[in-house]
Amino acid sequence: MAAPSSWGLWSFCCRGWSRVLPGCRLPGLRSSWPRGPLGARPLSQEKRATETHFGFETVSEEEKGGKVYQVFESVAKKYDMMNDMMSLGIHRIWKDLLLWKMRPFPGTQLLDVAGGTGDIAFRFLNYVQAQHQRKEKRQLRAQQNLSWEEIAKKYQNEEDSLGGSHVMVCDINKEMLKIGKQKARAQGYKAGLAWVLGDAEELPFDDDKFDVYTIAFGIRNVTHIDRALQEAHRVLKPGGRFLCLEFSQVNNPLVSRLYDVYSFQVIPVLGEVIAGDWKSYQYLVESIRQFPSQEEFKEMIEDAGFQKVTYENLTSGIVAIHSGFKL
Amino acid sequence: MKAVPSGVRSRLASALRGTRAQPPAVAHRCVHASVSRPSSDQSERTREPPRAFDPALLDFLVCPFSKKPLRYEASPNELINEELEIAYPIIDGIPNMIPQAARMTHQNKKKKWSSISG
Repeated sequence: MAAPSSWGLWSFCCRGWSRVLPGCRLPGLRSSWPRGPLGARPLSQEKRATETHFGFETVSEEEKGGKVYQVFESVAKKYDMMNDMMSLGIHRIWKDLLLWKMRPFPGTQLLDVAGGTGDIAFRFLNYVQAQHQRKEKRQLRAQQNLSWEEIAKKYQNEEDSLGGSHVMVCDINKEMLKIGKQKARAQGYKAGLAWVLGDAEELPFDDDKFDVYTIAFGIRNVTHIDRALQEAHRVLKPGGRFLCLEFSQVNNPLVSRLYDVYSFQVIPVLGEVIAGDWKSYQYLVESIRQFPSQEEFKEMIEDAGFQKVTYENLTSGIVAIHSGFKL
Repeated sequence: MKAVPSGVRSRLASALRGTRAQPPAVAHRCVHASVSRPSSDQSERTREPPRAFDPALLDFLVCPFSKKPLRYEASPNELINEELEIAYPIIDGIPNMIPQAARMTHQNKKKKWSSISG
């Protein structure tokens, strides 16, 4: 069971970033946070001073959660639009590929962690609904001797258009979930969808509950990735699948150089111009560089107990989909 | 892996008290922050009408500390773990299951609990 070191992060979150100086944004310069005191180091002698990275900055583990929360609270409203602008719309294809890899069938129980604005959840619902409709049509075509009334009744039976499928969207950030819920209402998603505020390191779900666990562009923001992986293993049913879509290491040197230039020179500027938030987007690109490579992450997933762990590079390794099974 | 209730209780108590490896000044601010947060949640609830909570979620949700099932209380719109005597708020229909969001019920609602339990 994970220790609640996250109490510190909540207190930090409430206190706010008192040490951050405003107006420290010079275009072209990478360093965005002030080089003052390096965040609140734990002062107690009993607790070992565990430090981690927040982008390229070193912070205590307690601080990281709060800082990440602040980043996503600030970007939530323009999150989807910024995703489109920064990735030139390619993030939609990456998420579609994740669904196609998943191939859910009607009746699948999905847990989408760090699923904030609902991109994966909505795609899942569309997919299983289409699958369910195709299955119904096939069944109807197979039954040759039905009367018109019986056929009409079958089509009218709209109660379960998803075939029992359900997706639980879990995120630690209230703002992201609010945006997701608004989108769901606007796009007409009602059935088969639930929203929960929860911590990926301490999921509020019972063991062996879900068929598929996804985490798309979220796991690099978790303070203790190993705990999140262990929780993923716990809540999945035996035979369940873990899928992670995340930025990773580029395998092509030329693409890597272009990607670096784009990441550090263009994205924070876009963030400043469009969302008025240089710092958050600086954090986002730095956090990508700090995330382990495909092979390292594969080993971490195996350490959590998953088997048949594989990964697939997309766009020369800018993004990778890792998959594992709980057997 | 189920937690031993006593171990979980002590961990929960220390987490909620905020006494883990914090210098005294910071601990004071932690307590102050935890007191101020519920009121901000309440002001959010009064601004927007509370949305309906789907009881079907109870099949999935458990307390993140003890992993035991929860009970839904409609009047304060909370999910209650009776064993540990903590409650999780539901804001706009979204249950807040973050461990730090839990509220000790026996501290705030002592009279109500004694009347219910008899």
